[in-house]
Amino acid sequence: MTTLPARPPLARSSDRVIAGVCSGLALHLGWPVKTVRWGMVLASFAGGAGLVFYAWLWIMVPTADEAARRNTRRPASPIAPAVSRPAAATTDDDGSPTGAAGSGPAGTGATPGAPWFRVRGMRYGKEILLGCGLLLVAGIMIAQLLGVDVSLGTLIPAAAVLGGASIAWMQLDETRRAGLVDKTKADQAGGWGRLAAGLALVVAGVLVMVSGSGSWEQTWLALLASVAVLGGVVLVLLPWALKFWRDLEAERAGRIRETERAEIAAHLHDSVLQTLALIQRRAGNEHDVVRLARAQERELRGWLFQDHGRESGQLSDRIKAAAAEVEDLLGNAVEVVTVGDAAMTEAHEALVQASREAMLNASRHGGGTVSVYLEASDGQAEIFIKDRGPGFELGNVPSDRLGVRESIIGRMKRHGGSAAILSTDDGTEVRLRLPAAENAEGKP
Amino acid sequence: MSTIQGTGGAAARPAKSVRVVIVDDHAIFRSGLKADLDASIHVVGEAATVEQAIAVIAEQRPDVVLLDVHLPGGLGGGGREVIAGSAPLLSATRFLALSVSDAAEDVVAVIRAGARGYVTKTVSGAEITDAVFRVAGGDAVFSPRLAGFVLDAFGTAPADIADDELDKLSARELEVMRLIARGYSYKEVAKELFISIKTVETHVSAVLRKLQLSSRHELTKWAAERRLL
Repeated sequence: MTTLPARPPLARSSDRVIAGVCSGLALHLGWPVKTVRWGMVLASFAGGAGLVFYAWLWIMVPTADEAARRNTRRPASPIAPAVSRPAAATTDDDGSPTGAAGSGPAGTGATPGAPWFRVRGMRYGKEILLGCGLLLVAGIMIAQLLGVDVSLGTLIPAAAVLGGASIAWMQLDETRRAGLVDKTKADQAGGWGRLAAGLALVVAGVLVMVSGSGSWEQTWLALLASVAVLGGVVLVLLPWALKFWRDLEAERAGRIRETERAEIAAHLHDSVLQTLALIQRRAGNEHDVVRLARAQERELRGWLFQDHGRESGQLSDRIKAAAAEVEDLLGNAVEVVTVGDAAMTEAHEALVQASREAMLNASRHGGGTVSVYLEASDGQAEIFIKDRGPGFELGNVPSDRLGVRESIIGRMKRHGGSAAILSTDDGTEVRLRLPAAENAEGKP
Repeated sequence: MSTIQGTGGAAARPAKSVRVVIVDDHAIFRSGLKADLDASIHVVGEAATVEQAIAVIAEQRPDVVLLDVHLPGGLGGGGREVIAGSAPLLSATRFLALSVSDAAEDVVAVIRAGARGYVTKTVSGAEITDAVFRVAGGDAVFSPRLAGFVLDAFGTAPADIADDELDKLSARELEVMRLIARGYSYKEVAKELFISIKTVETHVSAVLRKLQLSSRHELTKWAAERRLL
């Protein structure tokens, strides 16, 4: 801060009383916000210079968010968070905002966060404050000019127009509108109310100004006439407005569809096309081709038919994952059918491990498709793993082979379940059963 | 291989050959399927859209229609719409649904529209041939997955006597469905339950009828949860 103080670019802050011009200016200049505000108010008495200056800045200077968005392509700098820190909760602030009034180089002007919560706390109070301020200004002006009695008839309406316009425009401010979307309907109704009030003020002001007389009778007449004219205009323009609105909606829907299509295309490219390329390169190896095709089919199926409403990580998901693993490992198809589902417990974990072992055996020795059926209910979970291999006799399995005895039967028994292996010439079926009694013990 | 098992014997096959129409929008799949089917199956027509299918079926009056679940044309209803459009012929022409999709909405929708069975497109030509003969003979063809859907939809508790008979499966039907879901062929089911293959077929047909006719609350709810209705 010795030679050239690095300044944050000029942008309207979201810590605002009217439009955030003063606080933005204060941030830019490195002055206290209060000083700037009072300066602005005082300048307003100098022939309205402050008001004009304020209005000009309001129109020309973008909000911090707008500026940030405009510069999103620029490399992020540490400056943006400083400018829009109060709004950081609602918007992502990357990029360095550049004010319309020219920006200083990005620097370390990270002033402490503005008193955001204070402003939030008295959101309506702010409006009242503004109204009072406007009234006060109008009153002072009237008092000043009362002796001369030149333009009382124009000053009041002018003040009304200005006040109404600022109330209405505040609704249009980007950050505020974004905020309104998040808030409740009551707040939205409030927004519309403010808009209507602003509009009424402006109309009344313009009327009085144009009619040029303080006579109530004439004003009422003019009001009636203007309301009638406004009504006519609305009537004429409404169809256009509706059409415009519908076009806008259609365009938005189209854009959403476009995004979705792009996502699908990206997915197909990443998965399916890659796999197809792989398959073509391995066309000579039947085993590889089948394995690739199966894996891709499974992946695509999972993506297309995923049931988003369901919890993941349940027993059926785990069994399907185990089946997919076995399929990838050994190349034989493993068809899984599930009925019902259950949340995972430690015993269920053992059940999944035992099923995986059984699937591995079935795929390795059965040599063909393996059928897996899971039925889970409140009472128990049952899994059947069936292959169509030549079958085997459990008694003939050497005692040092732990696959069947330990990993399947022993594991199930240790967790309170049971396992049965039925082998015939037509194939082998492993039946695993896990009663829910263990869960019931854990629950109460 | 396990997706659909037949009785395996030629005994189930009718003596006469079966006339079949293949409805699928992929020409490659149609020709491949034609080559895969048994010589005793005569493909008398092909169609690629809903409109073509309805026209060809009305003209040829085949014994069996091999029907893809997803089809272009019509009102977008796919295979379901073809069955609805051929409603007057349903007594003579049977529909066997073919699909690459295992999604419950696709499968259950065509079954409830009137298809007599469902097989995935990945099964072998011999298995489809067997399924065609089975459907032509008036039986239902259940894959393990379809059996799983049925058990999911009807619940796994057997019916009380007081229940509406359409609303639940009998204890025996449940047993048959469970075994089919486990990958058993009809023959194996018969052996396991000590009943004849004919009895198994009767049970399966009864389940199919319940699936098509039941308006049971739980079935509706089950379908609604999966956006089938």
